[in-house]
Amino acid sequence: MFSAPILGQAFVNGLSLSAIYVLVALGFTLLFGIMRVVNFAHGAFAMLGGYALFYAYGSFKVPYPIAVIGSSLLIATVSLILERLVFRWFYNKMFQSMIGLMGLNMAIVYTSVVIWDVNERSIPAAASGILQVAGMTLPTDRLVIIGIALTVLAAFWLFVTRTKSGLALRATAQDVEIAATQGIDTIFIYKLAFFVAIFMTALAGALYAQTYALSPFMGDRPLMVAFIVVILGGMGSIPGAALGGVLLGFSESFLSTFYGAAVSSFVSFGVVVALLVFRPWGLLGKPE
Amino acid sequence: MPGAAAAPAARSGRLRESRMRARAWLGWTILAVALVAWPLFNDNRFILTMGTLVAFSAIGASSLNLIIRTGHVSLAHAAFMGVAAYACVLVQMRLGLSFAMGLVIGCLASGLLALILGPIMLRLTGKYFVLVTFLVGEIIRMVFVEWGSLTGGSNGIQGVPSIHPIFDSPIAFYYLALGAAAVCVGIALRILSSEIGRAIDSVREAERVAQCSGVPVIQLKVTIFVIACMLVGVQGALQAHFLKFVDPTAFNIDVSLNLVVMNVIGGMHHLVGPLLGSVFIVSLPELLRGYVELQRVIFGVILIVVMAALPAGMVGALAWARRIIAESFAAKKR
Amino acid sequence: MFSRLKLFAMLSILLFNGNAFAQEELKIGGIGPLSGGGTAWGLAVQRGMQMAIDEATKAGGIKIGGKTYLPKMVMYDDQYTAAGGRTAADRLINADKVKFIIGPIGSPSVLSVITVSTPANVLVLSNGYAPNILKNDAKSPFNFRVMNSNVEFGPAMVKWYRQNYPQAKKVALIGPNDAVGQSVIPQLEAYYKANGFDVWKELYDRGSKEFTPLLTRMMAQNVDLFDLNSNAPGEAALMLKQARQAGFKGMIWQVGGPSVDEIIDIAGPLAEGFVSLNVFDFSNPQAKSFVDTYRAKWGDGVINAQTPGWYNGTKILFEAMRRAGNLDTVKVRDALEKLEGYDAGLFGPAVWGGMADYGVNHQLMMKFWIVEVKNGKLITRAALTPEKK
Repeated sequence: MFSAPILGQAFVNGLSLSAIYVLVALGFTLLFGIMRVVNFAHGAFAMLGGYALFYAYGSFKVPYPIAVIGSSLLIATVSLILERLVFRWFYNKMFQSMIGLMGLNMAIVYTSVVIWDVNERSIPAAASGILQVAGMTLPTDRLVIIGIALTVLAAFWLFVTRTKSGLALRATAQDVEIAATQGIDTIFIYKLAFFVAIFMTALAGALYAQTYALSPFMGDRPLMVAFIVVILGGMGSIPGAALGGVLLGFSESFLSTFYGAAVSSFVSFGVVVALLVFRPWGLLGKPE
Repeated sequence: MPGAAAAPAARSGRLRESRMRARAWLGWTILAVALVAWPLFNDNRFILTMGTLVAFSAIGASSLNLIIRTGHVSLAHAAFMGVAAYACVLVQMRLGLSFAMGLVIGCLASGLLALILGPIMLRLTGKYFVLVTFLVGEIIRMVFVEWGSLTGGSNGIQGVPSIHPIFDSPIAFYYLALGAAAVCVGIALRILSSEIGRAIDSVREAERVAQCSGVPVIQLKVTIFVIACMLVGVQGALQAHFLKFVDPTAFNIDVSLNLVVMNVIGGMHHLVGPLLGSVFIVSLPELLRGYVELQRVIFGVILIVVMAALPAGMVGALAWARRIIAESFAAKKR
Repeated sequence: MFSRLKLFAMLSILLFNGNAFAQEELKIGGIGPLSGGGTAWGLAVQRGMQMAIDEATKAGGIKIGGKTYLPKMVMYDDQYTAAGGRTAADRLINADKVKFIIGPIGSPSVLSVITVSTPANVLVLSNGYAPNILKNDAKSPFNFRVMNSNVEFGPAMVKWYRQNYPQAKKVALIGPNDAVGQSVIPQLEAYYKANGFDVWKELYDRGSKEFTPLLTRMMAQNVDLFDLNSNAPGEAALMLKQARQAGFKGMIWQVGGPSVDEIIDIAGPLAEGFVSLNVFDFSNPQAKSFVDTYRAKWGDGVINAQTPGWYNGTKILFEAMRRAGNLDTVKVRDALEKLEGYDAGLFGPAVWGGMADYGVNHQLMMKFWIVEVKNGKLITRAALTPEKK
């Protein structure tokens, strides 16, 4: 069982799982980091991203790179309305945001049920090859996802460290009032952060839906994954989301392959609970 | 002379207050009589089932309200309900004990688990507490699913024995559920309107200050948590006997979420809130069967509005409406 | 004034004349999931019933005893839960005064419904994989199962496989740890072992859609055959696709489902060679008029394969009522039990069985098919009937 090819395959599977988990968690942690909002509607936005890609790539046959980026930009733009209507009442109010956004999640999901019905749909794959290296296999569509995850992480890092808006974002995250006194338009920064966060969430949702399946309820699992990854890595920390995603992805791959699904679930949950009890701000977060 | 004018004003104020209280008492008595008497005039079993399920949810929602009043929202409440339900049913079916013993052991089981987990979880605040209860609830559900030899796994336990031949009729079971709900809500009411209730409020509003004035914060929170989990055990035990069936899906995150929604929509500041919430959340989908999705959308929107603007929920909205009406009448009189 | 008199005369002649107005309404209850994940199956109940009802109405009603009855459906959503089934049954039996129920389809719901329907002498024709729907101390006096469960199609299918692929040695079963999976997998394990297979099994938490680690684990076991068993169609399709992407070269089939449409849709060319249970053969010439009637009413969407089974069950119920000549449920029940040989048109003559497995012959032994995917299309490999035990 513990032979080299199996270990190698478990490693490759871990990479592929980690990529999806990191993408799914990024938008969630950004909203918390900047606006102190626990986005319980995270899964709903991921799901909307999935439907957007379904129409863009599945129905209208727009070329894949444009479809993926375009559909996520569309969702992010349209969601700005929700930012005005819903989110802005909950900035910096963690408890209210949780329950309120739970309500938003219900509203979006069930509206989607009414519009699209509950049946699962599929989005055609972006690539259908299988890469085989040294006895290990990796489907090319998973390779694409790994590539996108790395690109998004790199792009975000560049944005936050090299651009003026990015710097303003970091300043607002540290202390919104002082940032305002320094002349930063915090209302605009919040909108920008919201836009970027939803863009990343919709993108993750689109890829998730394409890899697995699309339905109004598909967002439940990305939400749970986002929670776990972000608790592991630290709420509000982007490097934390990357670390948490990698930890979850690899542990799930190795534990499931060698010990089965039940062990993997119990261990992941157990570790996260223990972390919450002893170090609630995660591995890379800051105590409040 | 000011003294002479003040006395009659004060007296009429007290008179008004006692008249209002008398009216409130009258209102509650009428409601109680109605709840007890209507099955005797109309034995529609469907509505009896609804009423029984509402009574069950009232127990769960009001016991959760106790925890919420201490400033913590638990997403594991249904899991504790499940612990009590399984314990109650298993001791009856495997050990041959009576229902009364089963009920007691069930509630002790959920209370004991709350006593073990409470001190650990309640140290966490706000969002972290919600997250940890979410995860603990899931872990408990997974235990129900995996420990097949004890719980029957996902297939659950069938053929739960009846409590007593008297309660086999739907009307009798409805009265049992109503009675149990009255007792549990009564206990919650008693706690909240006593000294402990005031301590709870102080802990929720300003924990550090409460601690400085000598309130044993963590002990208080754990005590209330344990009591609440024992009370929801009553719902678990009765529900298991009503459906004659126990399975893990009756104790999952959606059920816990529903209990939270009942509290938020109804209003968390008065015990009436969760009661009102449970009537709405349980009965509305049945009565308006064609529009279940739309109802869920509306509940979602109500949650947003309540959290953003109306923290006191429906009860608060009603009180606010009543106040507006009363004020406009008073203005007219003058 | 004369014209008004004439109108009145015409109306009274119409009112007091003709069998058209002497027909009574007969309410038939339906229970199934009409919301949530099980909606497709609930719609199958609703539409199958409706087709049988429309047929009876077009023929002028059902002649029971000396009267003619026009059947009418009253259907409620059970949301695929026990509490939902219970509430729906309460409503049908007590508020709508229904004596005959078609459905539900999920075991928790069925088990809940029969706790209220049996004491009320209400006949229930249901589906649901749990053996104790039929197997209980009371010997199921008023409930019948009108579709095959694993106990019916499992043994026949595994035997067929053994006969056609004698060299296969080890089979893998991966399934959800929900009520269906936990019931069905031990049953299947027993059937495989009885046919000389080694069995490896693994259960996962329902909701997960990433099976690659488990499939890697499976491939380390050197299995020849992968059975998708009780997995829901979406999961079954993903499992097949991910297994092929991971390089699994053995045979993949499904004793359960059927999920063939989803698998062809999601796995595309990777579905080549997939073999499965099918509960209805839509390409059969006998099925054509059924398909046409369905399409005329509900359009071009996918027809859930359980729809013909519910149509069949409803027609059998109507025939039993006709033969009993009476709406008393005890008499209809007796007529139902003696209904062997009646052919409702799609599945051949009705056969009741199940005595050995349940203690009572209330299981309809339905014909079923084994199909294979070849070049993106379904071809029928065999038509089987469960062994009557």
